[in-house]
Amino acid sequence: MGKKLEIDSVLRPEVLVIGAGGAGLRCAAEICERRPGTSIVAVTKVYSPQKSHTATAQGGMAAVDPNDPVDKIIYHMFDTWKGSDCSSDQNIIKQVCESAWEQIVWLERHGMHFSRTEEGRIAKRPFGGHMLNFGEVKAFRACYEADRTGKGIMDTVWAESLRHGVEFLNQSVATELLFRNGSCIGAIVFMEQNGKFVAVLAKATVMATGGKTRMYQVSSNCRQNTGDGLALILQAGLPVMDVEAVQFHPTGIVGPGILASEALRGEGAILRNKDGEPFMERYAPTAKDLAPRDLVSRCIMTEIREGRGCTHPDHKLPHVWLDLRHIPEYVHKTRIQEVCGFFCKFVGVQPQFELCPVTPTAHYQMGGAPTNESGEVQKDPQQIVPGLYACGEFAAASLHGHNRLGTNSLLELITMGKVVGETVATFLNDAEDPGDVPQDMGEHVFGQFSRYLESDGDEHYAEIRDTLRVLMTEKVGVFRNEKGLTEAIEALKELKERAANIRLSSKSLAMNQELLQLWELDHLLDVSIVIADCALARRESRGGHAREDYPERSPEFQYHTLAYMTEYGKVTLGQRPVDMSIFEAKGEHYEKFGIIERKY
Amino acid sequence: MNTYPKEYDLTLKISRYDPDTRRSWVQGYRLKAGRILRFVDLFRKINDEQDPTLAWNSSCEHGQCGTCGMKINGRPVLTCELLVENAVNLFKTHTFVVEPLTVAPVIRDLVIDMEKAYEKVHFVKPYIIQAASQPPEGDEYRISPRVLESYVEATRCINCFCCATACVTQKNYLGPNAVLANIVRLMDPREMAKQERMDILYSEQGTPRCRTAQACSFVCPKEIDIAHFIALAKEGNFR
Repeated sequence: MGKKLEIDSVLRPEVLVIGAGGAGLRCAAEICERRPGTSIVAVTKVYSPQKSHTATAQGGMAAVDPNDPVDKIIYHMFDTWKGSDCSSDQNIIKQVCESAWEQIVWLERHGMHFSRTEEGRIAKRPFGGHMLNFGEVKAFRACYEADRTGKGIMDTVWAESLRHGVEFLNQSVATELLFRNGSCIGAIVFMEQNGKFVAVLAKATVMATGGKTRMYQVSSNCRQNTGDGLALILQAGLPVMDVEAVQFHPTGIVGPGILASEALRGEGAILRNKDGEPFMERYAPTAKDLAPRDLVSRCIMTEIREGRGCTHPDHKLPHVWLDLRHIPEYVHKTRIQEVCGFFCKFVGVQPQFELCPVTPTAHYQMGGAPTNESGEVQKDPQQIVPGLYACGEFAAASLHGHNRLGTNSLLELITMGKVVGETVATFLNDAEDPGDVPQDMGEHVFGQFSRYLESDGDEHYAEIRDTLRVLMTEKVGVFRNEKGLTEAIEALKELKERAANIRLSSKSLAMNQELLQLWELDHLLDVSIVIADCALARRESRGGHAREDYPERSPEFQYHTLAYMTEYGKVTLGQRPVDMSIFEAKGEHYEKFGIIERKY
Repeated sequence: MNTYPKEYDLTLKISRYDPDTRRSWVQGYRLKAGRILRFVDLFRKINDEQDPTLAWNSSCEHGQCGTCGMKINGRPVLTCELLVENAVNLFKTHTFVVEPLTVAPVIRDLVIDMEKAYEKVHFVKPYIIQAASQPPEGDEYRISPRVLESYVEATRCINCFCCATACVTQKNYLGPNAVLANIVRLMDPREMAKQERMDILYSEQGTPRCRTAQACSFVCPKEIDIAHFIALAKEGNFR
């Protein structure tokens, strides 16, 4: 074996932020505003924090402007509750929707370049599922910065972090959480570029590592979203919540997985199978191509499964076609230019003259690390882990339940990021110093990395990664059933064993992306089996979780799934009640917050 | 239904650097690839099928984060946006020289020390240094769409550093993207610290170093006319 693995240095900031995207840095900015001079180290897996995946979000952030004469916060709360298929937490819905506008204004005052109305105010546009008067008509509620709202947020919170002197560890990953007497006291961070391990001991640790959907064949997530944060939580013996709830968007562009917005079908685009048949007519004779997202995804997958899909010769991926050739030229030129540009740029297709390859793309995780309304990470529904916080897509407070409404994700980043910042700033006032370096520090991660470096087997990384992706797409994806999930769980156990037998070509620690890929693969396999187990246990269909064998929502499953994994494949399940405090308060319109139908 | 032509036979000549031995070399890879694979897909294919040790960086692969900038046959591009077919047509060849961007030292192969490159952007303080007096509680600043229109293009920059790589001035210059970040806040009505920004703009490392070659505008993957904004600065528009 090569060099002995060791901790290169110890950093002692007051706060460690793991994941420096929109949520992590909004949190950091809040801490610095409330407690100037607080020392913060932020770890980001990407090249530079500005490159975080938050920057790719397009649409907007929902917020009810108090100056709006018709929109009301209660409508936004209702839409979120209904959209979640009655499994989000009403205390969180209330907190987020009520603080939404204040957070939009915070971003604007800190320099975000929102699109404007003629009067110079922040412009707003309608978005799917956001309505006035409890579902009657479209609401203009999404505040946006052209088609790059996420970039606007990212640039703003990143620049604020620079102003406050947040120290960044770029292209680095947290590899092990550190605890003392049950409190989190930081993490061991591996710096990919120089191959060094650094111990970061902090009074408070905030996790905001984002999404996880890289275990699917087609995903809109960035290359780095490999479930590292969730895997760390599981390794620490803590639970993850509602991970079976994965949102698929029906029309991802084959290959890069970028969303080809519903707007295209709104303008008349037609889905066709390999024979050219407009197949949606068969499944949804009335709504056809404009049926809800989850239904369209299932129809596309049925076509593919029954042999009526195509296989893309370059990307080797199954897909169907989106036909925009009959749409008038002026519509192409004026209303769908941007999205059509994606087809042109990323798959070399001219949508006005050629068919466009699309397939469902894994887009968002509704679940994550369970937190309370202050963003404190829970070890069970009654107890928190002192010193450990979570926000953003990584966390499940839960605003989204089993299905997320468009534009609510960016809103969650900034509102819950701010809340966690507030909680941490207060906690720091009388938080204890993490103390000496723990005796056994690094044992786990050094064991793990030594295994990667010493493995002498003959398995291939790419083969296991691709097998995993096909398996998850086919059996734990848009469609799930008992047989497929059971098979997937067995197959994952076998893949995990095979993954331990991959031999590295280079044993170097510095910028060895093959080494990091093995670490990521372990996490993808860990999180995948937990998703499969949770999906198997939830014998109903709710939001993004669709069971062919149990197509209806069932009152029996009116709770959040908690899952712990002590060793690979040994998943223990628990429950957290869904908070229904708005309903229980019996205030005005409380009846809208009962167990209602999700019909649009 | 659509038909696809055959695969292309490609040769990639990639700059390699090993920090452990400090050795630099150029390594040739031959591969077959379909017409719409992107250069990031080619690097992945090389990792999967030929050489797992080749190091390169990308993130969103949607053209929105600016991580995967590299020089292809001398031209800085985002490699997630460059399709094989387009590259063949653009460069009239099946052989491509792949090099890292030149704005920072190389860490390994195609990966550079991006934080070093970012120091120039940090230097111009991309945030609002001193905010204009705030509108009443709960209200946003009013910015007319016409005013926003005059600088909104400049806000689209993703700091991919393609422009800084293409720029004819390589020494003692903030570079087009950092200058642009400063100009955004000079044009932003919410920013009060105009003098501090002017001092940065016209400093020895600022716009006086620009030689108006307009290479920045030519290569910008977001098609921002950076040279236009720098020209505004040179004309003294912000005084």
